[in-house]
Amino acid sequence: MFSCNRRRVIPTSDIKLNRYLIPHRKEIIGTVVCVLVTVGINLYLPYLMRLVIDGLTEKTLDSATLSKLLGIYLLLGAVAVVVSRFLRKLPLKLSHKVEYALRSDVFDHLTKLDQEYYRSERTGDLMTRMSSDINLIRDAIGQGLLQGIRTITVLVFASIVMMLTDPGLSLLVYSLYLPMVGIFFLILRVMRRHQKDLQEHVSEVSNFSQESFSGIRTLKGFALERRRNAQFKELNSGLVRKNMRLQASRQSLWPFMAFWFSLGMILILNLGGRRIIDGGLTLGTLTQFIQYLLYMQWPLLALSWSMSLIQRGKVSWVRVREILERESSLESRSENTEPKKDQGDAGIQFQNVSLNIQGRHFLHDIDLNIPEGTTLGITGPTGSGKTLLVSLVARLMDPTSGSVLIGGDDIRDMPLAHLRGIIGFAAQEPVLFSQTLEHNIGFGVAKPDKDLIGWAADIAHLRDDVEGFPERYQTVLGERGVTLSGGQRQRTAISRAIARRPDILILDDVLSAVDTQTEAAIMGKLQPVMNDRTTLFVSHRISTLRYADEIVVIENGRITQRGTHDELIRQPGYYSELNTLQQLEEQLEAGS
Amino acid sequence: MKMAKRLLAYSLPYWRWLSLALVMIAFTSLSINYLPILIQRVTDQCLMNTSSPVAERIDLLMKLSLLYISIAAIGHGVRYFQGLLTAWIGQKIIYDLRLEVFRKVLRMHQAYFDQTAVGTLMTRVTSDIERLQHFVTEGVVGTIADLFMLLGIMGYMIYISPSLSLAIFIPLPLLFAFLLYINVKLRNANRDIRDRQSRLNALLQEDLTGMTTIQLFNREASAMVDFDQRNTHLRSAYFDEVHWFSLYFPTIEGGQAISILLILAVGGMLILNGSTAITLGIFVAFLAYIRDFFRPLGSLADKAGSFQIAMASIERVFNLLDRPEEVADPAEPANPDHIAGTIAFNNVWFAYTEENWVIKDLSFSVEPGQVLAVVGATGAGKSTITNLIGRFYDVQKGAVTIDGVDVRNFRKSDLNERLGYVFQDPFIFAGSVADNISLQTPGISRSDIVNAARTVNAHAFIEAMPEGYDTVMNERGEGLSLGQKQLLVMARTLAQEPELLFVLDEATASVDTATELLIQDALGKMMCNRTSIVIAHRLSTIRHADRILVMRHGELVDQGTHEELMAHDGYYRHLYELLLHAPEP
Ligand SMILES: Nc1ncnc2c1ncn2[C@@H]1O[C@H](COP(=O)(O)OP(=O)(O)OP(=O)(O)O)[C@@H](O)[C@H]1O
Ligand SMILES: Nc1ncnc2c1ncn2[C@@H]1O[C@H](COP(=O)(O)OP(=O)(O)OP(=O)(O)O)[C@@H](O)[C@H]1O
Ligand SMILES: [Mg+2]
Repeated sequence: MFSCNRRRVIPTSDIKLNRYLIPHRKEIIGTVVCVLVTVGINLYLPYLMRLVIDGLTEKTLDSATLSKLLGIYLLLGAVAVVVSRFLRKLPLKLSHKVEYALRSDVFDHLTKLDQEYYRSERTGDLMTRMSSDINLIRDAIGQGLLQGIRTITVLVFASIVMMLTDPGLSLLVYSLYLPMVGIFFLILRVMRRHQKDLQEHVSEVSNFSQESFSGIRTLKGFALERRRNAQFKELNSGLVRKNMRLQASRQSLWPFMAFWFSLGMILILNLGGRRIIDGGLTLGTLTQFIQYLLYMQWPLLALSWSMSLIQRGKVSWVRVREILERESSLESRSENTEPKKDQGDAGIQFQNVSLNIQGRHFLHDIDLNIPEGTTLGITGPTGSGKTLLVSLVARLMDPTSGSVLIGGDDIRDMPLAHLRGIIGFAAQEPVLFSQTLEHNIGFGVAKPDKDLIGWAADIAHLRDDVEGFPERYQTVLGERGVTLSGGQRQRTAISRAIARRPDILILDDVLSAVDTQTEAAIMGKLQPVMNDRTTLFVSHRISTLRYADEIVVIENGRITQRGTHDELIRQPGYYSELNTLQQLEEQLEAGS
Repeated sequence: MKMAKRLLAYSLPYWRWLSLALVMIAFTSLSINYLPILIQRVTDQCLMNTSSPVAERIDLLMKLSLLYISIAAIGHGVRYFQGLLTAWIGQKIIYDLRLEVFRKVLRMHQAYFDQTAVGTLMTRVTSDIERLQHFVTEGVVGTIADLFMLLGIMGYMIYISPSLSLAIFIPLPLLFAFLLYINVKLRNANRDIRDRQSRLNALLQEDLTGMTTIQLFNREASAMVDFDQRNTHLRSAYFDEVHWFSLYFPTIEGGQAISILLILAVGGMLILNGSTAITLGIFVAFLAYIRDFFRPLGSLADKAGSFQIAMASIERVFNLLDRPEEVADPAEPANPDHIAGTIAFNNVWFAYTEENWVIKDLSFSVEPGQVLAVVGATGAGKSTITNLIGRFYDVQKGAVTIDGVDVRNFRKSDLNERLGYVFQDPFIFAGSVADNISLQTPGISRSDIVNAARTVNAHAFIEAMPEGYDTVMNERGEGLSLGQKQLLVMARTLAQEPELLFVLDEATASVDTATELLIQDALGKMMCNRTSIVIAHRLSTIRHADRILVMRHGELVDQGTHEELMAHDGYYRHLYELLLHAPEP
């Protein structure tokens, strides 16, 4: 016996971020060139400054040379400014291209993941990965590339130039900057910790608000507003506290750097000044060094900053990669992705199907044969596994053992799109989209026309309701369809399923919120539709179950009874009890 | 402007602290910007002053250096504390405001939630309010700080050399105008990014929650197309941003380069021409000033550019705060100690949207202890009746009364505390099973919780869950069957023990019949001294009702006991016969 492992999270292919960078080689090379040019010019300009100042102190400068020097200054300055623009534009634009491609890929992958995955992940968490995590990756690429290349270049070239100009002063600059970068890095680390704290708290606050707003009816119905407000107040104070903790380190960054810079400035002036007084150094050289001090400040600070960005980007990349590497447990087993052409038979068979979720057994040894064109009714107590059973047919999940066949083929050997294409599924808790009714009904059809939508609405007995809406089929629904009555929502879901004219129709308890009269009308109209196709429907009501060709009773994940309505009411068991409970003649007639 | 004023009103309670912050800002500006003057003195009096003796020069150099470092330490220290103080004030303001907005949202009427996406509300309590805080701390206080810095620097510059200053200041307005222009563009791009990001997120949110539906209906490709469209849109907004952003720093760099060039040119020429107005010290000091000068300048342009965006957020938040609460609490609420529980509808008319009447001239009443059942076709307006009793909506004409008092005279919380609802859609909070039943109401013990669960036959399946009553459930109770959710919600209502009324809106529609009857018997006991309203489609559910309302298209077509209705030969009897003589397939 083979048993298919339902939880395959082991990555098969190692997805690398490089995949997204390699197509942009040219931009990366361009960035390097821009860096070289700007750094070169920016190291040369202070030298010009030195020439001017020394010329002035030593009175060797005439206005012609001054103009010439200034001319060069202007020219180089202009080039530096222009190149500096591309230095930013290239890597940032690249990072947005990567962001776009990555987000597309992740979404595309998400559309392939199974229901199981969506149950285990919180929507909010997926949203965070799709937005802030991808943004962090982007920043790590854009800023990391920009600052990383620049810092390294500046460090290398500035050291050479400074050493060549004056080794003593350059040692001073280095001994100043090394501890600064260190301390800066520490502050950033503290900051990051508080930032993370705050971020977690913020998402707690937004989860709380989100739930309060989407469960507003329940809140109001139980008069929970006061309690909710108090809880929110608590969370809100937490926000202030955590924010201030973060601010304590964040606000220190700029004053600290500025102070450190002042320290460097005065040390250079003091030590260099003594040498000037001694006559060992010129004021021009000193100015040149001060300019280097200035110029190196940002790239060096950016070193810690971009390092922390890259670190955060890495963490985010791991989180995003988790999605990309997660494989749907539903991939086709065979390589055969072409649907078989002679696929005429839409009979369904369950062979020895069992289902475990997280170690709990929900379905046991289900054997069923539903010939093409027949209708199977499914009933059973609450939580017995009816919904799970029908979701196996549409491969919302795969059985732990055994198999489900359609037309004699294991559905795991069919392309998923093909399988779903032949199924019309009306779920027990349908999700409607906040768009027009028309869009919702025609959701599963490539190009729905008015006739089809009218037909589908008519079968589900929705037409009269729609006629009553001012905007008819153009009525825009509220989120999750909240502006419809419960029965209207269910019937919209039925229309949506039959509008596809599927070979297999699955209706999971879709008439529970519909009154008996409408139910009878719908069943009457559905009858011809169901006759043409294989139908599974779940219901608690005898009045609908009796339409089925065969009825199965599921109790505790097992089929305990099967047969036609007439056979089953004669057997002792769940079904006949259900029948008695629902046939109230005795009690009612005794009263009248 | 009026908006800004109103916002500033929120900072009024903190005016003392704000004034302190302003004093600190002034102090910082004066002290820090004095530093380049010390550099000038070092250069001129120590380094270049060849006329005095070396020892004296070195002595002065040490003194000036010490002075320099002390002023720098104090200045930046004060600056740090000023930053903290300002941040704290901002946090206080935003704290008050966020609380106010959240409370306001919870007070809004149900119709508001029908029309407003949850995502929009989330934006109000999160990013809009953050932008407000930003506006107060960075915008107002920050602008003042920048202006002080700028004025301080300019003052000192003019003080040490008016001519050189003038040379530098001349191109400044142009530069500032250009920066402002870039900033406005940048802000627009930023706004586009935010709009497009939130539109992308809205789509994403809906797609992720409905992914199973999308897959079942093979809509992956078209979902991808929609997504790609918004993603591309977002990218182009980002490209816009990069376009302007990549101009911003080069412009400042250019401004700096031009200023340095001007200093070198004008200063150089003056010195060459033998002017004594410019010394090398001034030269060096100016180079230092130039560096500090552009930061506040850029940041001022930044703030001016973001003013509009901040205003838009402020407007949205205040609009929300100003929105009328259509279902408001009365000024003088009735609060009778004891309510017997006679519910009556007197000629009630109601429409969700104007003139589209859902309830038409409805009148009925239920006595205390009675069970009222409402039946009728789907969409007839049954759930709407329950909405009107709990004041989720207010009636347009007529009145709903409890013991003869119009429900509009009750405070909503007083009212709802006495009612027990089971809504048609079970809502499960993320949290443990026990918390979902008790709702953390004080006084509900674990044994009460278990009792309630037993009453509705939910105990068995809860015990079977991995951690029983402490199992933490996902969003909206994913992983429970619908029937199980309905039982859970039912247990919740029982555990709350409402004193007046039960409203059950198809509470057991997806529950098997045996369990349903079990629940009814249990409820029968609990309901005996409370009024209850039951909406159901199954006759089995309503057989115990003292009174049955038959509704159709928002109108009452019949009412009475089962026997009376059966005698009427109307809708009810038709319904009943349908049930008995369902057509044989
Ligand atoms: N994803 C899941 N993870 C864990 N348990 C699950 C999951 N889905 C369903 N279950 C459990 O499996 C059992 C069967 O669920 P199912 O939804 O099939 O019940 P059902 O027969 O359709 O009930 P109802 O009549 O209430 O609709 C229930 O106990 C449910 O809690
Ligand atoms: N929030 C809303 N906004 C606008 N229209 C609504 C809203 N809720 C319900 N309606 C409309 O009001 C009418 C009555 O709805 P109601 O929910 O009262 O029906 P119901 O009798 O409870 O139906 P069901 O048996 O299907 O639950 C329906 O046509 C519905 O579309
Ligand atoms: Mg089910």
